[in-house]
Amino acid sequence: MEKPEKDKKPGKLKMPQIKVGSIVTYVVLGIWALINIFPLYWMFTFSFKSNREIFGLNVIGLPKEWLWSNYKSALTNGNMALYFLNSVIVTGFTILLTVILSLMAAYALNRLVWKGRKVVNNIIMLGLTVPIHAAILPIFVILRKLDMTNSYQALIIPYTGFTLAMAVMICNSFLESIPKELEEAACIDGCSVYGIFFRIILPLMKPALATIAIFTFLQAWNELMFAVTFIDDSKFRTLSVGIQNLAGAHTTQWGPIGAALVIATFPTLILYMFMSKRIQQSLTVGAVKG
Amino acid sequence: MNKRLVSVFLTGIMATTLLAGCGTTESEVKDNSSGSSRENLTLTLWSIATESDAFSNAYSKAIKEFESANPGVKIKHETFENEAYKTKIKTAVSSNNLPDLFYTWGGGFSKPFVESGKVLPLDKYYTGEYKEQLSQAALTYATYDGKIYGATYTTPVSALFYNKKIFEQNGLKAPATFDELVDVCNKLKEKGITPIGISAKDTWVLAMTHDAMTLKSAGPEKVKAALKKTGQSYDDPDFLSSAKKFKQLADMGAFYKGATGLSNDEASALFYNGTVAMFTTGSWMAGSIQKDAKNPEDFDVVPFPVIGGNAKETDFMGGAVDTIMVNASTKDADIAGKAAFELTRSISKYSYLDGAGLAVWKKDYDDSKVNPLTRKLAGYASGASSFTLWFDTMMEAEDAGEYLTLLQEMYVGNITPEKFVKSMAEQLK
Amino acid sequence: MDSVRRNKLAIFLFIFPALLLFFVIIILPIIMSGYYSLLDWDGINGSTFVGFSNYIELFTDPGFQKTIINAMILAILSVFIQLPMALGLALLLSKGVKGERFFVAIFFVPVLISTVVIGQLWLKIYNPEYGIVNMGLKAIGLESFTRTWLGDQKTALISVFVPIIWQYVGYHMLLMYAGIKSVPPELREAARVEGATEWQVSRYVIIPMIKNVLKICVIFAVTGSLKVFDLIFVLTRGGPAKATEVPSTLMVSMIFGRNRYGYGSAIAIAIIILCFFFAIVIQKAFKTEVD
Repeated sequence: MEKPEKDKKPGKLKMPQIKVGSIVTYVVLGIWALINIFPLYWMFTFSFKSNREIFGLNVIGLPKEWLWSNYKSALTNGNMALYFLNSVIVTGFTILLTVILSLMAAYALNRLVWKGRKVVNNIIMLGLTVPIHAAILPIFVILRKLDMTNSYQALIIPYTGFTLAMAVMICNSFLESIPKELEEAACIDGCSVYGIFFRIILPLMKPALATIAIFTFLQAWNELMFAVTFIDDSKFRTLSVGIQNLAGAHTTQWGPIGAALVIATFPTLILYMFMSKRIQQSLTVGAVKG
Repeated sequence: MNKRLVSVFLTGIMATTLLAGCGTTESEVKDNSSGSSRENLTLTLWSIATESDAFSNAYSKAIKEFESANPGVKIKHETFENEAYKTKIKTAVSSNNLPDLFYTWGGGFSKPFVESGKVLPLDKYYTGEYKEQLSQAALTYATYDGKIYGATYTTPVSALFYNKKIFEQNGLKAPATFDELVDVCNKLKEKGITPIGISAKDTWVLAMTHDAMTLKSAGPEKVKAALKKTGQSYDDPDFLSSAKKFKQLADMGAFYKGATGLSNDEASALFYNGTVAMFTTGSWMAGSIQKDAKNPEDFDVVPFPVIGGNAKETDFMGGAVDTIMVNASTKDADIAGKAAFELTRSISKYSYLDGAGLAVWKKDYDDSKVNPLTRKLAGYASGASSFTLWFDTMMEAEDAGEYLTLLQEMYVGNITPEKFVKSMAEQLK
Repeated sequence: MDSVRRNKLAIFLFIFPALLLFFVIIILPIIMSGYYSLLDWDGINGSTFVGFSNYIELFTDPGFQKTIINAMILAILSVFIQLPMALGLALLLSKGVKGERFFVAIFFVPVLISTVVIGQLWLKIYNPEYGIVNMGLKAIGLESFTRTWLGDQKTALISVFVPIIWQYVGYHMLLMYAGIKSVPPELREAARVEGATEWQVSRYVIIPMIKNVLKICVIFAVTGSLKVFDLIFVLTRGGPAKATEVPSTLMVSMIFGRNRYGYGSAIAIAIIILCFFFAIVIQKAFKTEVD
């Protein structure tokens, strides 16, 4: 990429070089930031507009007419608060389960020694290959056999199944950068596998876990196909299905959908802010000092 | 290591055959409350009448009326979005997860459901006042192999909506023949107004226009015979003529230029805001105009122009396809069967009064408050000499999919009308 | 230490729960899909065993071949445009620019926003009447360049890929950023002390240390491209006239649109095999580089 190149010029006074370089840097970063934040702005503004404004009259600007009624429609449609809560429960447990299972599995694959771990490692990658729509019917059949449909588990289990591959791979790559010597050093005075896992590995894996939490959250929070098919009873309905229900069969009022999406996106943003702080905080590699 | 893999694989195969074998033949009864037949019975109903849907109010009223007329029976209504529902209901039929009552689309869509034996035939409940108030014709698309499998509540038709104001401003009259349509399009283009709005991305909108043109070229009998594969080949001069005329409109620029990139919502928006002057679609647009157009009075509707000799002005595309069916293993077949008719009768009335759809059950109530466009369309519906279901709903899924694909290909110019007609004939063989 | 690592009970406890879940949710459905792919089945009623005829039909269908090509184009664009962008941003931000945390957060935002919003947004951007692209071109006098971006068979594919590539830059960036931050700062210092420029530090110190993360990103990018569905469906439904059809859109239209469940399952299996193939190949490619 071009930015580092700018610093490459040898033989000249370093000061002016850096100045030009960093101005360009900030401009580039700034532009990209604006491009990235635009969708948020757009979502926020269209959540207050009427279909007429959204579809031509006033596509980008601030709403000519601020339709707070859109928010009212969104919130009173069905039982959005309940759907929100359901999403929180499903996503929360999915994250928990994913983090726990993937870290344990990655540790077993990466650090423990047993026959067949290479094969299992490769098989886990199958988890990245399955197109979701093809899995709907088979998983539904399985869930019915296990009598698990129409419940939180009906989503938590499949979601976790699908995030495992990604999570295990991320854990693996972070584990690989933790030197084995560290564990061996801790073992000099005698130790158990569990001790090493909990006291040495786990604390060092915080950035990995935070990253996995974010990615799992993303997959589970916005997921739609499974949520529609596996759950019939609206008391277990999740937010993404609730939002989709705002669409009419032939015509749709997009304003309320925007409102619901704004409501749905906010926890995402907050969780992300919280998690990214964790990543940043726990990224000092001091503990690894030999 | 390899042995482990093999045993895992074998277990998988065993599990699969077990599941596959059981999944399709077992019939489970959804058990709910105490189980005694008429007391405290809860029937589950699935539909696409979500709260933002135009029919939502009608459904709610219908359910309330039924519950008060049948104390001890409750109806639990769950709604789902249209597109997602198609996947959900198919999966439900496949895995025996059907509720007692469910909405579905008649014609080709539900054919596999009926064939699976999981839908209850309703002939024995179609008696007395139900028979009197709901014509046999209204049940055409809910009838399979001579047996009735569902009840219907609305009969949308498609027609040519147009912006009256633009027409008047340019001294134009609503077209009644194809030549008049071409003439109107030319005159509008001269004034810099795009004549016809359409979405080529949501192919069903494209089909709306093409279906209407084909119907008005070949006439209802021929169309039905060709699409239902009862002896009429699609490779026929009438069908070729409508395909050619469709291409003619496309080539002369009668359709909005960017139609391939627009969804139905976006294309309709162009009609509501006066960018395009005409739009052919289902009668539900009458309701949307009231909501989304700045001046609903600017709009009017006429039957789609007649093109060929076999068709009349009173032949309409449309029909009763919104159907409520009953699960064959429902807890109480008699009550559920009765409910299907009672509910649809009420929904028919209330949805019409709301301007959401055209009533298919006999109207014995005052409809003067309904918006003028919808009332006009209701008039067309009651005076219709024939109804022909939209092609992509009438045909079986495989043929319908191919039809829409070929239509889009013809629209963008990848295939000629001749090729289109021949490919359709091939597909329908 | 060695005996600790071979503790059978521990191994079992650690790996079994994940494996069990994985088997039920991933492996079993794959096997079931494999079975379905050998049938002529509508998904609801009886089926006929047809052996490999679905696959033969699939591989001789130019339509399917096109979807694979489209997916591979996306994969190439992802790996050679999206990933370098992500890497550049990650390197830049991890150096310690002002507002580092702010930028990292902002760049990740598109990933957080649901595909529905991104899709609808880009529909508006590409709209031939009032979309920013065409209006922008008109404003700078390039009206002849305006197109129906999503509706023109020639421009649809690239138009659809732009939002897809753009949306996930932040995703890969975050992974790389986390990886870079895990590199011991002493290594950077040591290199700088020896007179290396930023660029050389990045190239010779950091990048090798995050090879694993890069490997993962490439695998995610390629498998993601082969499976891509949501945005394409919203933007074009795979049209116009199949111009933007990818394996997943074809699969969904076959399974749920045309009731050809067996054939659709064959497509699914083809996707699975392809993804798996590339995942293994990429894994191997990176291994030879590291060691």
